[in-house]
Amino acid sequence: MDAVEKANLERQKRWAKERKVGEGTYAVVYQGREVGTGRKVAIKKIKVGAMKDGLDMSAIREVKYLRELEHQNVISLLDVFSSKTNLNLVLEWLETDLEMIIKNHSLVFLPADIKSWIAMTLRGLEFCHRNFILHRDLKPNNLLIAADGQLKIADFGLARDFADPGYKMTCQVITRWYRPPELLFGCRYYSTAVDMWSVGCIFAELMLRTPYLPGESDMDQLKTIFRALGTPTEEEWPGHTKLPDYVPVGQFTKSSMRDLFTAATADCLNLLSKFFIYEPRKRISARDALHHPYFFALPNPTHPSKLPKISTQPSSRTLEEVDGNVDLDSPGPAVKAPAPVPNRLKRKLSSVSSNQDGRETYARRLDFSQ
Amino acid sequence: MSRRLYPLASLEQIQNSPSRQDGIPAELEEDLRAYGCKLIHQAGILLKQKQVAVATAQILFQRFWFVTSMKQFGIGDVGMGALYLASKLEECPLRMRDLINVYDLLLQRAAHSLKPEGKEFKYTPMSYFGNTFYDLKDALVVAEMQLLKRLGFDVHVVLPYGTLVNYMRLLDLTGREDAVSRAWGYLNDALQTPVYASYPVQTIVSAAILLATRHLGIPLPSTPPNCWWDLFDAEWEDVWAVCGYIMRLYRERSLEDRRQVIGMLTKKDVRRWLEENAPS
Ligand SMILES: Nc1ncnc2c1ncn2[C@@H]1O[C@H](COP(=O)(O)OP(=O)(O)O)[C@@H](O)[C@H]1O
Repeated sequence: MDAVEKANLERQKRWAKERKVGEGTYAVVYQGREVGTGRKVAIKKIKVGAMKDGLDMSAIREVKYLRELEHQNVISLLDVFSSKTNLNLVLEWLETDLEMIIKNHSLVFLPADIKSWIAMTLRGLEFCHRNFILHRDLKPNNLLIAADGQLKIADFGLARDFADPGYKMTCQVITRWYRPPELLFGCRYYSTAVDMWSVGCIFAELMLRTPYLPGESDMDQLKTIFRALGTPTEEEWPGHTKLPDYVPVGQFTKSSMRDLFTAATADCLNLLSKFFIYEPRKRISARDALHHPYFFALPNPTHPSKLPKISTQPSSRTLEEVDGNVDLDSPGPAVKAPAPVPNRLKRKLSSVSSNQDGRETYARRLDFSQ
Repeated sequence: MSRRLYPLASLEQIQNSPSRQDGIPAELEEDLRAYGCKLIHQAGILLKQKQVAVATAQILFQRFWFVTSMKQFGIGDVGMGALYLASKLEECPLRMRDLINVYDLLLQRAAHSLKPEGKEFKYTPMSYFGNTFYDLKDALVVAEMQLLKRLGFDVHVVLPYGTLVNYMRLLDLTGREDAVSRAWGYLNDALQTPVYASYPVQTIVSAAILLATRHLGIPLPSTPPNCWWDLFDAEWEDVWAVCGYIMRLYRERSLEDRRQVIGMLTKKDVRRWLEENAPS
C-alpha cells in the first residue's frame, strides 16, 4: 500500500455509514457520522456498478464544483474518498428542503420568511455566479435547509463553468417548471440569467404555495409562461423568433401579477417581475437582486433560526418575534395559504388533517430524459 | 472564499518522485512522462478533441506521477484515463469505444516502431469481443478512478493562454505576432513536461516569453532592479528552471533511448526494465 492508499483509507475511516436515506439519479445517499465527533453527515455513494461509461458526468461535476465552492449558502463537501470501485462524497447533513417546507401546509409563511429564504438563495447563487459557475437546476427540492435554518444550494450535478463566453451548451437543463423561455426555444448560448428565472419561479412559489408555472410538456410550458406573463414582443425580446427551436405558441396578454400575488408589496412585485424579464441580458442578476429595495424595506428578513420548519413540536415563536416581522400597514402577509388562516399571528394551523408529513399526491419530480 | 487554487507538487515530490523511489532514473522518468503526453496529444488529434481537454489531460497526467510510481500504473493506461476524465471535466465527453480504438492504434504503431526497419505499418483493428477491447476498457475505467482518487479529487486546472495574452499586452508585444505564436508554441510544448504540476502559471508563461524573446532577439529590461519578470511575480531561478525543462524536450535522443522509452509503456515493461537494471 502506498502513501495515497493509506491516506484514502485514513479518510474512509473518519466516516461511518449508518442507514440508507434515499436514492438519487446516480447515487445512493446514506446518513452517517463523523467517527471522531459524532457529527451527522450525508454520504453520497456514487454508483459505478454498471459502469457503462466509467464515472458519471454528474458525479464528476458535483465533485469538481463543490470542491471549489465554499459559502454559507452552498452545501459543503466535507470529504471525498473511494472504496474499491466506488466514489463517496461526504456532505453536510441537511434535514429538509424547501419543497417539503412549501408543501407542508401546516406551516404559515410570513413575508419576512419568504424574504429570508430568497435572500439566502440569492447569496449562495451570487457566489456561484461570481465564481463563474452556473447551477442549471434550481428548484425548491435542491434548496436544502440545515438544522439551524440556513438554506444551502445543493445538487451541482448539472452545473457548468461559463468563464468562456460564447460557448455552446445544451439547452436540456433545468427542470421544466423552472426553465426559462430561452432554453425552451433551444438557445445554446446562455448565461447566469437562466438561474435567475428559476429563482423567480421559486420566489413566486413561496408566495403561492404551489408552483407558479407548471407546464405539462415543453410546448405547454411556453404557453403557461406566456399566459402568465404575456407573449413577448420583438421589442421586449429582440431576436427571440430566430432561436433554433422557436415556434409561435399563440398571443397571450399579460395577466396582472397584482391580482395573483394579492398580498405582495410593491417592492416585492417589482423584484419578482425583474426575474421574469424575457430578454436574458436585461433580466436582473443575483448581485443586483440583493441590492433591490425589497431587501431594505420592512419587514426585515427573518433570522434563519426563526424560520418555519418541519417539526413535531409546536411552534415556539413568541408573539414579539412575530410582531417584529409583520408590517402592519401592509395589506397582509404575502401568503396565500390554501386554507384560511384563523389568526395570522399564529404559526401553526390547528386543524390540519392531511399532509402532516409534507407530502402531496401530485408528482413533483420532472423528467429530464427527453 | 472560493477554493479556486490549483495544486502543485511539493519540493519533496519533485526531488524524490515515487518512480524515482522505485529506481527509475530521473531522466528516464522525464522521457516517459513526455512520451505519455505525446500519446495523449496524438489521440486528441485523431479524435478531433478540443485543445482545452487535451491540455487538461496532460496536466492531470503529469500530476499523477508525483503521487504514483510508473511501476504501479502504465503511462499508456493513465494517459488514456486522463484524456477520458479531462474530456468529461471539459464537457466534451468521448465515446469509450472511440478512445480505446485510437489508443489501440497508437500502441500498435509504437510496437511496430520497435521492429526492424523497412516494414510498413498496417493497423489491424481489434475485435470488440476480443480480449484487447475488454482489457483496455477495464484499464480505462480503473485509470479514471485512480486519477481522481490519487489526485485527491482535486481536478482543477489552470491553462496558461489567457495569461500569455495579458502579459504580452503588458510588455507591449501584442504587435509582435511572431513572438506571441512562438511563446504559445513553448507553452504547448511545456505540456509534455511536469512544469504545470510544479510551477505557478505566471512562472511558466514568463519562461515561454523569455525563450521566445531571446530566440527572436527582442530586448526586454533584464538588469536588476528592472527585470520584466518581476512584473509578474516570477522568480528568476524558477523561470530558468522551467526553460530548462522545455529545452530538454528538444535534446536529441539516441535511437536506443527512444526505443527504451517506447518499450516501457506498461507497468509490466517497467517492472521488467527495473529487474534487468537493478543495481547489483
Ligand atoms: N445533504 C443531505 N442531507 C440529508 N439528506 C440528503 C442529503 N443529500 C441528499 N439527501 C437525501 O437523499 C436523496 C437523494 O439525493 P440526491 O442523490 O441528491 O437526489 P437527486 O439525484 O434525486 O437529486 C434526497 O431526496 C434526500 O432525501
